[in-house]
Amino acid sequence: MDGVLIIQMVLAAVIAALMYTIIGIAPGTDETATIAPVTLVLVLSGLNPNIILTFFMSAIVASKLTDSIPVALAGIPGGVMATPQVEHALVLKRFGLSDVSIQKMASGSVIGTLISVPVSLLFAHALIPFADAIKDYGSPIFFAGTIILALISKNRWLALVSIIPFSLLIEGLRHLYWNIGVVPKGANVFISFFLGITIGPVILTLFELLNKEKRDRLERYERKTIVFKKTNNMKTKANPFTILTKKEAGLSALSSVIGSAAFILSPVGLTTFLGEVFSSRIKDPVKKASLAIACMEALANATYISGVLIPLIALGIPLSPMAIGPANPLFNAPPVYTANHNMHHLLTNFDFISAAIIGSAAALIITFYITIKYSRQICVFVFKRVPHEAMLGLFFGLVLLLAYMDAGWMNIGGVFLIGIVAGTLYRLGVNYGVQFMILYSAPWIISKLAGQ
Amino acid sequence: MPSAKDETFKKYIEVWEDLVSIKDLVMALLICSITTLGGYFIAPDEPPRPLFFGLFGAFLGFVICSIIIKPKRNLSETDAEE
Repeated sequence: MDGVLIIQMVLAAVIAALMYTIIGIAPGTDETATIAPVTLVLVLSGLNPNIILTFFMSAIVASKLTDSIPVALAGIPGGVMATPQVEHALVLKRFGLSDVSIQKMASGSVIGTLISVPVSLLFAHALIPFADAIKDYGSPIFFAGTIILALISKNRWLALVSIIPFSLLIEGLRHLYWNIGVVPKGANVFISFFLGITIGPVILTLFELLNKEKRDRLERYERKTIVFKKTNNMKTKANPFTILTKKEAGLSALSSVIGSAAFILSPVGLTTFLGEVFSSRIKDPVKKASLAIACMEALANATYISGVLIPLIALGIPLSPMAIGPANPLFNAPPVYTANHNMHHLLTNFDFISAAIIGSAAALIITFYITIKYSRQICVFVFKRVPHEAMLGLFFGLVLLLAYMDAGWMNIGGVFLIGIVAGTLYRLGVNYGVQFMILYSAPWIISKLAGQ
Repeated sequence: MPSAKDETFKKYIEVWEDLVSIKDLVMALLICSITTLGGYFIAPDEPPRPLFFGLFGAFLGFVICSIIIKPKRNLSETDAEE
């Protein structure tokens, strides 16, 4: 690794941290939908994998922390992962402690990152002896994963029943494309289907808007009023560890270790569960809320980082909710990365460690010392200047682009079709995890059904 | 007339957990689609340049939309806590 590469990595990390500070703060943005397409474009562009991984690590650390900033300031989550914190942040806000809330979150995220990077490396190495066995059974494991995710989801019967129809849709489209020759036979149309699932709920809503009756019946709202507390610029102490009490720091560290070990579970579910377990015995509402917020932030960061690093280092197949979601392009972005040729095969241990450290350190330094200081101004800027329509337009444009690149004009219709079905399933109660797993196991499921 | 008043004030719908106006949304989707695919097609035909042009087009569309469309949020800053 030479100096030029390191400078490029630092630069990529800084760009990612700045970009995802804005995107993270904007309300309603889901990590998979915002990070995956951009990562995908970087992978397809043929950029050096070290730089892409650094960019990615910085993006997840920055967007996780900035997701939570509007929670503390205005009580609205910047993204899905920040939802469990809302309740506790509102308690602190009621006591006039929005700035404390942000500081606790930031320190929690520092602890989560510092602990999960080494712990993930450790777990990854512990897994390596079993990696070949796991990889040999990749397809059945994805199928088992689909079933398990379906069983532990809220609407388990619905999820189970959806597996075969949804696999048929995916494989049906692929076989159609092969037969009429818009893509070479056997080419894996994957990326655009993946994005179709991600923005499925949005596609479905857009189609509904075309129906006049539905449109007239839709609930209408007036402008959303967001109440901010007027504060001076916040200052964070130079040392993140002095912001947390011993107990908060300790339990945040403990949740980070648990989060890293449980990398295969859903981050949102785990965050809610452990945050509540650790804070449930404390009576004082302020202490309880600060503890919960610090732990949740630490844990969320840890599940993110370990969910990416462990499968990437040990397995090379995306076996975690993070890896099949936002980090998916690092494993699978044909023709650049495939199951047998992706970052797992391209990068050395040292590469993984340096990308993880440079990426997360740059994001932490920027968010900890700059974003927090100007958090109010940044939030006001994003809320006042960035219309939600522009965000939707941006991702819609990216989806069109990647759909076209995958299999031509026809595939734009194909991605809409996947989006309509995936969006309907999502609205009925089949979560993203189950749908992504089906996308992975569809070829195996269909070939087994055909008795091959 | 309360109904007319409702129409003036309650005209936004919720898409992906935030409010949009249908007219602005259609405009944003059109602008971003045109800039993104436009960027892709005017690029020299040697990978990965079409992709970069497309990405730049998407970003350009985002900036244009941010300038011509106003966000549907009111900000009110208070000294007191709620």
